[in-house]
Amino acid sequence: MPQSTDLLQGTLDLLILQTIALEPMHGWGVAQRIQQLSKDVLQVGQGSLYPALYRLEYKGWIRSEWQITENNRRAKYYRLTPTGKKQLATELASWDRLSSAIACVLGRATEAS
Amino acid sequence: MISELLTRFRFLIFRKRRSELDEEIEFHLEQEITTRIAAGMDPAEVRRQALIEFGGIEPTRDQCEQQRPGSWIGTVLQDLRYALRGFRRNPLFTISVLVTLALGIGATTAVFSVVDRILFRPLPYADPSRIVSVGMVHSLERQEFLMGRAYVEWQKDQTPFSVLAAQSTMVHNCDLVENNPAQLGCITFQVGFLPLLGISPVLGRNFLPEEDHPNGPHVVMISYGLWKGHFDGDPHILDRMINVDGNPARVVGVLPKDFQFPTLESADIVSPFAFNPAVQQTVNGGFGDPMRLFARLKPGVSVAQASAQMQPLFNGDLNWFPPFAKKELQLSIRTLRDRETQDVRPVAWILFGFVLAVLLIACANVAGLMMARGAGRQRELAVRSAIGASRGRLIRQALTEALLLSFAGGLAGLAMAQALVMVFVRLAPTGIPFISAAHLDLRIAAFAALLSCLCGAIFGLAAALEKPGLAALNAKVSMSRNHAFLRRSLVTAQIAVSIILLSGAALLLRSFTKIEEQNLGMQTGGVLTVKLALPWWRYNTNQKVMDFYLRLESSLRRLPGTRAAGMTDSIPPEGSLGIRYSDLAVQGKPRGVPGIGGTVVGRSVTPDYFRALNIPIVRGRNFADQDRTGDESEVILSRLLAERLFPGEEPLGKRFLSDSVRGRGAIVVGVADNVKNNGLTELSDPEMYTLRRSVPGDWGGDRLMVIVDSAMPLAAMEPWVRSEVASIDRTVPVEMEPLNQTISRLADRPRFETTLLGFFALTGLVLAVVGLYGLIAFMTTQRTREIGVRMALGATRGNILRLIASDGLRMVLVGLAVGLGTALAVSRMLKTLLFHVSIYDPLTYIAVPLLLSLVALVAILIPARAGTRVEPAVTLRAE
Repeated sequence: MPQSTDLLQGTLDLLILQTIALEPMHGWGVAQRIQQLSKDVLQVGQGSLYPALYRLEYKGWIRSEWQITENNRRAKYYRLTPTGKKQLATELASWDRLSSAIACVLGRATEAS
Repeated sequence: MISELLTRFRFLIFRKRRSELDEEIEFHLEQEITTRIAAGMDPAEVRRQALIEFGGIEPTRDQCEQQRPGSWIGTVLQDLRYALRGFRRNPLFTISVLVTLALGIGATTAVFSVVDRILFRPLPYADPSRIVSVGMVHSLERQEFLMGRAYVEWQKDQTPFSVLAAQSTMVHNCDLVENNPAQLGCITFQVGFLPLLGISPVLGRNFLPEEDHPNGPHVVMISYGLWKGHFDGDPHILDRMINVDGNPARVVGVLPKDFQFPTLESADIVSPFAFNPAVQQTVNGGFGDPMRLFARLKPGVSVAQASAQMQPLFNGDLNWFPPFAKKELQLSIRTLRDRETQDVRPVAWILFGFVLAVLLIACANVAGLMMARGAGRQRELAVRSAIGASRGRLIRQALTEALLLSFAGGLAGLAMAQALVMVFVRLAPTGIPFISAAHLDLRIAAFAALLSCLCGAIFGLAAALEKPGLAALNAKVSMSRNHAFLRRSLVTAQIAVSIILLSGAALLLRSFTKIEEQNLGMQTGGVLTVKLALPWWRYNTNQKVMDFYLRLESSLRRLPGTRAAGMTDSIPPEGSLGIRYSDLAVQGKPRGVPGIGGTVVGRSVTPDYFRALNIPIVRGRNFADQDRTGDESEVILSRLLAERLFPGEEPLGKRFLSDSVRGRGAIVVGVADNVKNNGLTELSDPEMYTLRRSVPGDWGGDRLMVIVDSAMPLAAMEPWVRSEVASIDRTVPVEMEPLNQTISRLADRPRFETTLLGFFALTGLVLAVVGLYGLIAFMTTQRTREIGVRMALGATRGNILRLIASDGLRMVLVGLAVGLGTALAVSRMLKTLLFHVSIYDPLTYIAVPLLLSLVALVAILIPARAGTRVEPAVTLRAE
């Protein structure tokens, strides 16, 4: 198994929001998608996934509803709310600012651009 | 933002169902398993693998639950439930803590409510610390006064005050004459008086300067009480004409509801002072009218500076007075608070100290109890920590318990405080300023709440901060040594403090019994005092007054059971008009040195006075009824006065010169035994009785009362006396009281102080003993195993008893020694309150330690004896 990278505090929320922004998804799907997109670098354990999902839902950024999956199984799908969309935009902007700042400090600004 | 709040609120109320999460997790697992099977893994092995990778389900559940807004409420509720269960399991502990807290907080709050007004609360005036009472004081009058002639000069030449304003020296009786007549208190003050205090009338206006003049228009302000009571709060009261003592006057204002005169007198009607500078050099023997003077200090001027600046003016005034008077007169400037609370402050401070001491004992008790409980729970805490409770969680749990206890204790304390304040107000004698207005207010409630929270937080943290070590899981380790030392010191300190409290209270009790038991020199049982308020504007000549009283005397004498009925202007142990000893001039003797010899009590009585009070005549004879109509003036001296005036001589037949006794000469006809005549607690003065003859000149002065000695029960006498008075003049109000009640009321103040301090000393003792008992009982339980081993090895019960008791006795002895030393050192503070009792009273300092040792011994022996009943076989096998 490739070594997983610890997620920065608050980054998980951003990843989840980004992931379900494309389409409504259930918990397992979110974990899988993140792992897939990060080429197995980021592995989201359920121990942090579900608390994060619940936290976002309590904040009103995502909404959940029970739906039937393609193989006829009941599953809980999460989708972004309008507030969540705004929040995602803010978080993305601040992530960009942060990552470019870090890149500058590390002297890789030219490579990143 | 708002929608976010709404969402949170929605989840606060509708919690998600637990099964939802379960189903979600189950789905997650299934997906995992399906993927792995699809990847070709062994189906039997897959589920196990998936579960391992998934990790703990229960922590996830908890974490999801914790994300919920308001989930902390659940935690708190859980802590509360846990705490309550713990308290129910251990009722003795809970009740001890609650009672201790209730007593400590209750007593503190109640006493604080009472002394607050006396010691701390600002007076109800604008910037009260700058207001002073200004004037002269004198051996016969300790409250500042000033004569009008001096006031004229002071107004002109004073520098330290921004404003000066005068009021009349006392409230005088006046009559409201109308369909609904009433006797009221009247007073006068200057137009600047209310502005000086920073008070404005609640209705209408203050006097105008042109009204505050001699021969100005008749205007009055009335008290709020009179307006609301007598006039039913009449909204048209302003400009109404009322008739005071036969003079119509216009109401121009109503004083505020909570207005109080700086002299603490109560008056219903205020008229302008109408100061007339022009006549001050002639009226009242050239001194001018007496008055009370109040002033506001200029900014930056202290009381001491003001005194220094006024001294030259005062020295100038002294020149008008005869030389002997100069020695006795002094300038006095005091802040208003000092004047209002003069002799109550030491008591208030002592009371405050007593209560703080009780609070200390209570806090030590609670601390001790909490520590014992903490030590007993080390094992439980260790277990909880071992199965995963975090440090913060344990601390929060402990804090919750402590705060819950102190909150409950605080509530109980407030209830207790309310009850105590009510008791204090009921018990309190008149003359303690402000006490009737004492009540629990918000500030004081906050004070108590803060106190209880502080207690709780400190004890709670003390118990929780200790990290439960793994060692505690092994119950064989007893509580740590330094804890034991702390608890011992606490108990020792409690004993020391309660010794101080007890000896203070015992000293007061001894002093009080001496006051009660002292010989007054007269009989007080079966004597009725009758006071009559003759409306002076109808009884406006001495002749009318005399006629009334003489008729009353003869009709009272005819009543069945009357042994004697006499008239006097005052009754012991109160003094009366003071005469200067040096003014007494005896025929054929050199005059005394002016200003030396103090005062002599003078009383003007009728012959039956001595018979009614059963005061023995030791030489010569009593006044006789025929003396009352004779030309000669007779006097009777007290033994003290006779011995002082005529040492080794025959006093009978000696004659006082015509200018010395009431403006005429008098002959000594008898010597009466000494009677207490300067209050209950002061040294008696020499006394001179003049005969009140049946001539109008002897019936001046407004103080007169009738005393009746009767063989009948006094309760039966009262209606008879009332009807006799009514048969002469049915409009005269009568006030009657058995003499022994009057005298017992004089002792109210020391009784009140003694009761109060005694109550707190006993509370302190009870708390300290509870603490001692608790500690010994706890230590005995802790040492059960040790005791078992000792007994198994052959120790007798006696040995064990000695072992435990000696431990406790050591604490008691150290506490006694420290407490006694401190008590002896601080008892000086009580000195002003003690009557005929030394502050080092041996009886007190023997009895108090004895009492405490006795009680402490019981508190030690009960748990110690329980300790000896240990069965070795049982304890050794217990773990």
